[in-house]
Amino acid sequence: MAGVRWLDWYDDGSLLVVDVGLACCALEFEAAAVALPTSAPTLARGGRVVVVVSGTVTDRLAPAVSAIVDAAAQLGVVPTVVSFGACASSGGPYWDSYSVTKGIDQLLDVDVFVPGCPPPPAALQDVLDGLAKPKAA
Amino acid sequence: MALVEQQRISSEQWLGAVRRARDDGFGYFDWLGCVDEIGRSATFRIVLVLRDLDRPEAPPMVLTTEVARDDPRLDSVGSVFAGAGWHEREAAELFGVEFVGGNPRRLLLSPDFSGTPLRKDEVLAARAATGWPGAKEPGEGDAPVSRPGAPAPSRRRMVPPGVPDPAVWGERDPALPPADPAEVAESAVGGRIRRNRR
Amino acid sequence: MTGEPQRRTPGHGSIVLIESACTSCMICARECPSWCITIDSHTEPVADLPAGARARTENVLDRFAIDWSLCMYCGICVDECPFDALAWSPDLASPAETLAALTAEKADLAPDQ
Repeated sequence: MAGVRWLDWYDDGSLLVVDVGLACCALEFEAAAVALPTSAPTLARGGRVVVVVSGTVTDRLAPAVSAIVDAAAQLGVVPTVVSFGACASSGGPYWDSYSVTKGIDQLLDVDVFVPGCPPPPAALQDVLDGLAKPKAA
Repeated sequence: MALVEQQRISSEQWLGAVRRARDDGFGYFDWLGCVDEIGRSATFRIVLVLRDLDRPEAPPMVLTTEVARDDPRLDSVGSVFAGAGWHEREAAELFGVEFVGGNPRRLLLSPDFSGTPLRKDEVLAARAATGWPGAKEPGEGDAPVSRPGAPAPSRRRMVPPGVPDPAVWGERDPALPPADPAEVAESAVGGRIRRNRR
Repeated sequence: MTGEPQRRTPGHGSIVLIESACTSCMICARECPSWCITIDSHTEPVADLPAGARARTENVLDRFAIDWSLCMYCGICVDECPFDALAWSPDLASPAETLAALTAEKADLAPDQ
């Protein structure tokens, strides 16, 4: 999929991850991803696709976040959506803003909500390690 | 040496003053912003900061003007500094100021957004609609207030910052005239609800 | 996710409640910038007063909840509590599959008390 930076998290095609990095939580994602191998990502048979939303989603940007998840679904499996941090989960400290979407569950089916402001990189690693069988396409 | 050079300009002379400042050497547009002066005067203050890059040690030039809140129009300075365009568009959509001769398009807000969110009388709707956990008094639970041992119903409630006193906005007595913006802005600072002053 | 060993941080992981110190004064719920603390309490007469003392009531905490999906871990509640009833814990709040599961109740926040 052109233009999307997929990360082959275990370097075996079993888990391809993309980060919708919108705010501070994206830095924690990057810290978790820093040691990843840089081979070209290919989704293996039975592999899982994960879209991580890291940071505050504004109402203006919400359609773009949905579009990324829709595009991820074109890889042939239903993406697993991870709401990383308080802003993605509920709007976080900005829940009362005139411009902020109060959690991506307003837009998407979310599989995991990770609390934190921000969660540490280890929390993301734990979530990815814990994802079991892939969802059926 | 002063930290800034500040000039207060009348709104009619705004464009000319900005052009003169540029011609005097302040050719670097730093930023333009807007301040809602409600509570002090019924105006918006427009603030423009320029720098002279040939004299970096010189204080920034700060030009300010005021426009009436009920007719907020000011000449656009986009013809002097093209870079002012985005700043003016942001001030226009967030405060409702019209920059005459400037780009009328929204910058950050979506086309169907209604309201001027940075005005101080613009109520933070999410806060007003959501029950504040801090509204309860010590010893109060979810039970009705009239339970024995509960705080007396006449005790003034606390309101959080950002939500006006319900007597001013939200649950206002319909017999009263509409609250003026200064009243709404002032009552949204939080704390114990003030008793009626009228 | 829940039930697995919680990750620990060197310092500020999450916030725990020392229930015996809490007087339901509401200060933490009021100071929280995110409005993530919910407190319910009621009043009861104080028992075991000395003979001749006037009757007094005290607050009894019914519900103390923190919504971890809103919490920004600023620590204002810990700082503002006049009775030191809130404290930092190195344990992180766990991820969950629903938002509702991210609200921790008294039993989760003060587990050993």
